[in-house]
Order: sequence, then structure tokens, then C-alpha cells
Amino acid sequence: MATSILDLGSERAAESAEADDLGLVEALREGSERAYEELLDRFQQPAYALALRLLNDQSEASDVVQEVFLKVFRSIGNFRGQSSLKTWIYRITVNEAHNARRWFFRHRRQEVDLDTDPEDTRDWKENIADGGRSPFDVAFSGEQHVMIERALERINPIFREAVVLRDITDLSYEEIAEILSVSLGTVKSRILRGRDALREELQGSLRARPALRLVPKTAE
Amino acid sequence: MSCDHVQQQISALIDRRIADGERENVRAHIESCSACQAQWESALSLRSALRGMAQTEVPASLAAKLRVLASHERVRQLSRVSLPARLRNFTAYAGLCFDNLMRPVALPFAGGVLSALLAFGLLVPTLSFPHNFVGGPTFFVEPAGSTVDLAGQTSEKINILAPRIQPVNSPYTGYTNVVDLTIDENGKVVDWTVVSGRLTEELNNLIVLSRFIPATTFGLPTSGKIRAVQGPIIVGPSYSFTVRS
Ligand SMILES: [Zn+2]
Repeated sequence: MATSILDLGSERAAESAEADDLGLVEALREGSERAYEELLDRFQQPAYALALRLLNDQSEASDVVQEVFLKVFRSIGNFRGQSSLKTWIYRITVNEAHNARRWFFRHRRQEVDLDTDPEDTRDWKENIADGGRSPFDVAFSGEQHVMIERALERINPIFREAVVLRDITDLSYEEIAEILSVSLGTVKSRILRGRDALREELQGSLRARPALRLVPKTAE
Repeated sequence: MSCDHVQQQISALIDRRIADGERENVRAHIESCSACQAQWESALSLRSALRGMAQTEVPASLAAKLRVLASHERVRQLSRVSLPARLRNFTAYAGLCFDNLMRPVALPFAGGVLSALLAFGLLVPTLSFPHNFVGGPTFFVEPAGSTVDLAGQTSEKINILAPRIQPVNSPYTGYTNVVDLTIDENGKVVDWTVVSGRLTEELNNLIVLSRFIPATTFGLPTSGKIRAVQGPIIVGPSYSFTVRS
């Protein structure tokens, strides 16, 4: 019972967001100054955060975001509302990031079997679960964000992309599937593998740099 | 239920992408198994750390560029929409027309010395404070005169931080910050280059907030370049101008 009410609520929220989108798009087509401001207010920050995490380079992310908004403004006439404005803009952002030089080189460097079942590739996991307590039991402070940034940079960009869309941009599996043009199962598997790879990278860097002072969970 | 299987489900559990019955089983295992508990907690803290990274601030220079881009694209869009749509959006449109009357002048790329001087003559007195030039040429003021709204700069006082405008090929240098602006045929700043120094907040405001009367070639609006400078006033003989409005 409770879940069905919840579902109804979220459906209504989605419907009103859709109506808002179409209103905004109509105002953009008519050249309303406020609409242009609203679009930037809503999307420039998350689009930048997304591009930055995909490329890990501020100036390249800035270039990408400018390209994104140029495309959005120029092609707003073609937006038909078959996807939400949000997924449309993030999809353009991801595509533009793919075109960036940095992405291309990283991607080429890390050719692996991308969407095989994660159950088959568990060999490295044995190293992680050594003993009951993982060395990763830490609360992240600001300093450790740098570590996560580096770890994100080192994992396969295809997995990184899924994790970033899920955990940083905060999109649903359905939205991510639409943005990346892949199935829900693939989204699920990429997020799982991305998070595992990220955790592995972080554990590696924690072991390599014991001098880093970490705050144990229990000290909180 | 094996630890392997449970740890495989942690990612889906965090995202609530797991069937109800399965969820209860996985949860029960996590509560009773310290190894899986540790994995679960590390997955949670990783997720919250990543969520925290969503707050990344947009660099000021990007925000400024996006505003310029938006205002440029908006004018482009306005020129394409139908008249009824334009009338529906009358307030914004009227504002745009009004803005068009209130702009400094952009110099044409290749308008010859005389037209450059004319444009510059139009430009300089409108800044509302005395401007000094060493051995400067004679400036002409357009008989009709014009007023200008330069990012809200109307003070008679010389503010050291206030950006000033000069031709791109001006021989007067020594300013701390120098930025060349490209003005399109609609009077919008479409691009800029930092020639020296840096893009300060005042220069940034000038770029974002100022509207320019586009330069003209044979009576038609055209794109052009002007230079915005900021820093110590260059001292020289003083010229005065008549401003008519
Ligand atoms: Zn277990």
C-alpha cells in the first residue's frame, strides 16, 4: 500500500516536471530573457560537475559546457519532450565529453571487456575482502576528495561514466539508460563494476600512502 | 546466502534496485556478518562522498561566458520567431529595443581611420568623466550625440577600478588589465581575449552587463572589436567633449 502511494506521488512529480520543461522550452523558443536565465540556473552547475568528473580537467570541462549550451540553445526548436529536458541536456553533455580529446585517449588506453557479467570477473575481489574489516572503513573528509578524484580518473571511463551519472549527477537507472543508450541491465552492471573498481583503487591508494591520516568510522 | 552473493547485491541495495524478498535476505545477512557489514558501510560512505562532489562550483569565467552565450543566442532566437510570438513576449522585446538605444560604440574591424575616430569620439565622451590622452588626435562627436549605459557606470568621479574603453589599436598602454572584446552586429559581446593582466570582476561585469551600439559599415551594423582597460589612468593633455543626449 505504502509503495503504491509513493509511486503515485513520484509519477505526479514527474508529470509536473514535464509540464515545467515544456513551458520553459516554449519560453526559450519565444526568446524570453527569463527562460534563458532559468535554463542556465538549473543546468550550468550540474552540467559542469558532470563534465568535470568525466574529463577531470577544468578547462576542458568548461569548453564542453559551452558547447553543450550552444547546442541546447540552437536545437531547442527540435526538442519534442520525448525525453525530459534534464536527460536531453545530460545526454548532450556526455556526448560532448566523448568528443573531447582527453576522453578519447583515456578510453583507448583502457580497452577491456565492458559489459560482461560481473559475476565472471571476480578474481581481484579476493584481494579486497581480506579479513572482516576493510581498510576502506573511513569517513571521507575534504582532503580525501582529492583521492576520490584520482581514483575516478584511474578507473575505466565507461564504468566511471555510469557511477558519475548515478552518484554525482544523481540520476535514476532509467535516465542513465536513456542517456547512454544502453539497457537497464547494462546500467546496473556498469554501476556495480564502477563502484567496485573505485573502491579497489581507493583501497590501493590507502595502502600505498599510510601516512595519510584517515578518520576511522568508529571515531565519529 | 553466500558473502559473495551478498556483496554483489550491495550496489543494487543502495540504489533500491532489488526485489523486496531479496532485500530482506540481503539485509539480514549484512546485519549478521561483519565482512559484509564492512563492505556495506564502505559502499555507503563512498556513495555519500561522491554525492558531495556534486557541489563543484562553476568557474566565474565559465559562468560569464555562458551568460554572454545565452544573451547572444536569445537575440538570434528573437530574430527568428514570428511576430505574434514576439508580441506575446513584448516586455522582453521592448527591453531589447530600449537597450539598443543605450549602448557605447564598437569600432569596426576595417572602417578606415576616420570612421574609427568618429566612433571613438562617440564613445569617449559618453563615459562621463574626463579622459586624458597623450598627443591624442582630434575627436569628432556625432551631431545627434548619444547616451550610454556602460554597466551602470555613470559616476562623474574617476574610479580607479572602473574599466575604460579604447580602440584596440590604441597606442596607450600600461594598464594593469587589458581585455579585447568582440562585439557582434547586435551589439553583444560574443568573445573576448585577455591581452594582459586578468579578467577582474569589474571587467567581467562590463562584458556581461554592457550593451554596445554596433559599429556600422555603409550604414549597416557590423561586428567589431574594442578594448577594455583597467588600471592606472594614463596622464596626458586633457581633451574635453560635448555630450548631447
Ligand atoms: Zn557475509
